[in-house]
Amino acid sequence: MIKNGSMAKNSLNVIRNYPAIPIILSLLLAFSLLSPFFLTGINMESMMAANAVILIAAIGQTFVLLTGGIDLSVSTVISASAVLSGVVMASTQSVFLGVITAISVGILFGLFNGVLIGHFGLTPFITTMGTQLIARGIAFVVSQGIAVKGTPDAIVFFGFSSFLGIPYITLVSLGILIICSILLTQTTWGRKIILLGSNRKSADFVGINTKKIEMSVYLLSGFLAGIAGIISVANLGNAIPGVGDTILLIIIGGVVLGGTSMNGGEGSVQRTILGVGILAILTNGLNLIGIPFYDQLIIQGILIFIGNGLAMKISSKSSLAM
Amino acid sequence: MQETTNKPLLSVKNLKKTFGLKTVVNNVSFDVYPGEIITLVGENGAGKSTLKNMLCGLLEPTEGQIFIEGQEVKNINGYEHGISAVHQELSLFGTLTVAENICITQLPGKPGNVNWVEVDNIAQKQLDFLGIDIDTKSLVEDLGTGKQQIVEIAKALLHADKLLILDEPTTSLTAPEREKLFIIMERLKERGVAIIFISHFMDEIYKMGDKYIVLRDGHQVGSGFLKDVPRNDLEEMMVGRTIGESQIDLKPPQEVDAIRVENLSSYDFHDVSFTVKKGEILGIAGLVGAGRTELVEAIFGIRKSKGNIFINDKLVSPVTISKMLENNVSLVTEDRKTNGIFGIRSVRENISAATIESFVNRKIKGFGFRNEEEKTMEVVKDMNVAIPHIQSKIKSLSGGNQQKAIIGRWLSTKPQICILDEPTKGVDIGAKFDIHTMIGELAKQGVAVIVVSSDLPELLQISHRIKVMRTGHMVGEFKREEFNSAKIISMAASSAYEKKE
Repeated sequence: MIKNGSMAKNSLNVIRNYPAIPIILSLLLAFSLLSPFFLTGINMESMMAANAVILIAAIGQTFVLLTGGIDLSVSTVISASAVLSGVVMASTQSVFLGVITAISVGILFGLFNGVLIGHFGLTPFITTMGTQLIARGIAFVVSQGIAVKGTPDAIVFFGFSSFLGIPYITLVSLGILIICSILLTQTTWGRKIILLGSNRKSADFVGINTKKIEMSVYLLSGFLAGIAGIISVANLGNAIPGVGDTILLIIIGGVVLGGTSMNGGEGSVQRTILGVGILAILTNGLNLIGIPFYDQLIIQGILIFIGNGLAMKISSKSSLAM
Repeated sequence: MQETTNKPLLSVKNLKKTFGLKTVVNNVSFDVYPGEIITLVGENGAGKSTLKNMLCGLLEPTEGQIFIEGQEVKNINGYEHGISAVHQELSLFGTLTVAENICITQLPGKPGNVNWVEVDNIAQKQLDFLGIDIDTKSLVEDLGTGKQQIVEIAKALLHADKLLILDEPTTSLTAPEREKLFIIMERLKERGVAIIFISHFMDEIYKMGDKYIVLRDGHQVGSGFLKDVPRNDLEEMMVGRTIGESQIDLKPPQEVDAIRVENLSSYDFHDVSFTVKKGEILGIAGLVGAGRTELVEAIFGIRKSKGNIFINDKLVSPVTISKMLENNVSLVTEDRKTNGIFGIRSVRENISAATIESFVNRKIKGFGFRNEEEKTMEVVKDMNVAIPHIQSKIKSLSGGNQQKAIIGRWLSTKPQICILDEPTKGVDIGAKFDIHTMIGELAKQGVAVIVVSSDLPELLQISHRIKVMRTGHMVGEFKREEFNSAKIISMAASSAYEKKE
């Protein structure tokens, strides 16, 4: 009896920490009943591959939201780093140089955001909106608006391979997830990010260098956008200048849906994978049962209301910090 | 005072208000007659604001009765019953015009179609009534504090033509503005409006008031006509001795200077110099707004200032938070909520926040926090913090427990100089006792302690020495054997506005 009671309590705690879990479970159940193809290995594999880029960018976004900021530039920084690395790879056929280029582009944009927001105190929304436009412009100018041809075979092969049914690129994103989760929960850097997001003044007064911490999260977000850029080349086989244009809201929506607060100070990367998971399953499932794209948008919108409402309700009831 | 034959406008009988276990206002009874000015005096936390809020209907009394013109009134609604209060924090809309602000609660015209001409007329009429010339079309944020206050009074009088409560209206006024306010008060008095006037300044109290009511720890310890009570008696009534005081035995401080502040100046305070010895508790007394918080925040490096600060005879330069932390200085800030706690984070994280580096696991290069839970639990026990769980959000605790946790946070940095700004503000009696004991312990261990407090009995109990600050200047010092609450109060308050000009 006692054991049952504590088990019930434990599972309640899990739901409290991860309000997205019941939504994921019900979506999985619903779609596997509605479509026989949904739970097949092929479908799962393609769903994971299609969302690797989004997951990587969403992990970076989680750190930014935790400080109470926002990074609107991630989506097009992905495009810019994809295109620039695509150009480098096309002319050198070196995957290594491509990776270096993509990461450098991401870091440069992240540093730019970080210095403007952290050091000069500009508003995150406006600053990253500006960088978003710049990055998008660069992506289109450099590529002249068309996919960059001449991607090395090695990276295309990497994008299509998988291990035990899990695509390589998904493994990369999961590796990043684990590393970032450790950084956030097990280092003073991570702790300082959370304290800063919870109350910037209190953080200043206990001696946290809040400017530096704030700068660092935009740098991380840019760095991960760079990685996401090269992963998008692997996934799509080409560097596409518009690759990031449509995914910004999915990235931010995934993070928030997972239960990370936009006010800062509350959240985790584990929640982010669940939030991204919800949107991924939903898109995939609705496609399978033949719901047209624009109808899907309506359903997605409604689900965001439900998910966010549920998360808020659960978190406001809890007196424990998460 | 000719009204004593009339029937009272407002009668309060045995009014009581409790919050949880704490009684804030206890057994208060008085009458207010039309056209008289009652001064309500008492120290911070004596229950003045709670009484005020009950009279204008913001709080419901726990016990007791309120009569308005002979009729008992339950569920008092200030505006409906002709009572209105001008609170210390003005409630005006800066970006709206004077006229809009005055009429905001009751805009004339049909819904969706405000009669703006009428708005202007009403506002003009109110201002004429007060005899003040302010352009009704100017924006409130463009006015000085004094004029804003008059707009607030005009707005209040639109509804309250019987009783006006002014809560410390002069603290932020310049001398001419204050005079203008007094003229308005006289004018209202002539027209039969009763005024309850809350003030700290003895000069004003005697100048304007007819009667007085003294509150101390929620009790009404005295009332009557001001002309019958000498100033010293009134001050003594205000301070008195608190019930259930904490006794801490003070040891003489060591003969070594821990911190020396020389000629520190900023916008809010001027040319402040003092030293604190190891093991000494220095109290800083003064009124709200005297520059005490600004001073200690400047010492901790939060605010910019000119002058020198020496710690252990070494000049600290530049004065920044990180430098001060290196020198083992800690500051428990006054405003817990905005710059003390991390509200949505756990008690554990709140306590470890200032020492987080020390929990890092050295074996696996900086990963994981070792013993954080054990160490913070120890702090919780030492500080006697009542918590449901170490993971509880700190904002779910009571004010006293939050404060004890924050003090615990700073004590775990092993401070050599510990500054506490209003350490027992908004804290219950039990926690107050704990905090006093802890301050005494610190001094015994040789820590130099600086306590800023508006609670004078508290400073009298725990300090070796008290310095008095007034309008940004250090105006006096009392050694423990010279402690005299009436003298300290009058030094902190008397003609406080003269230097402001």
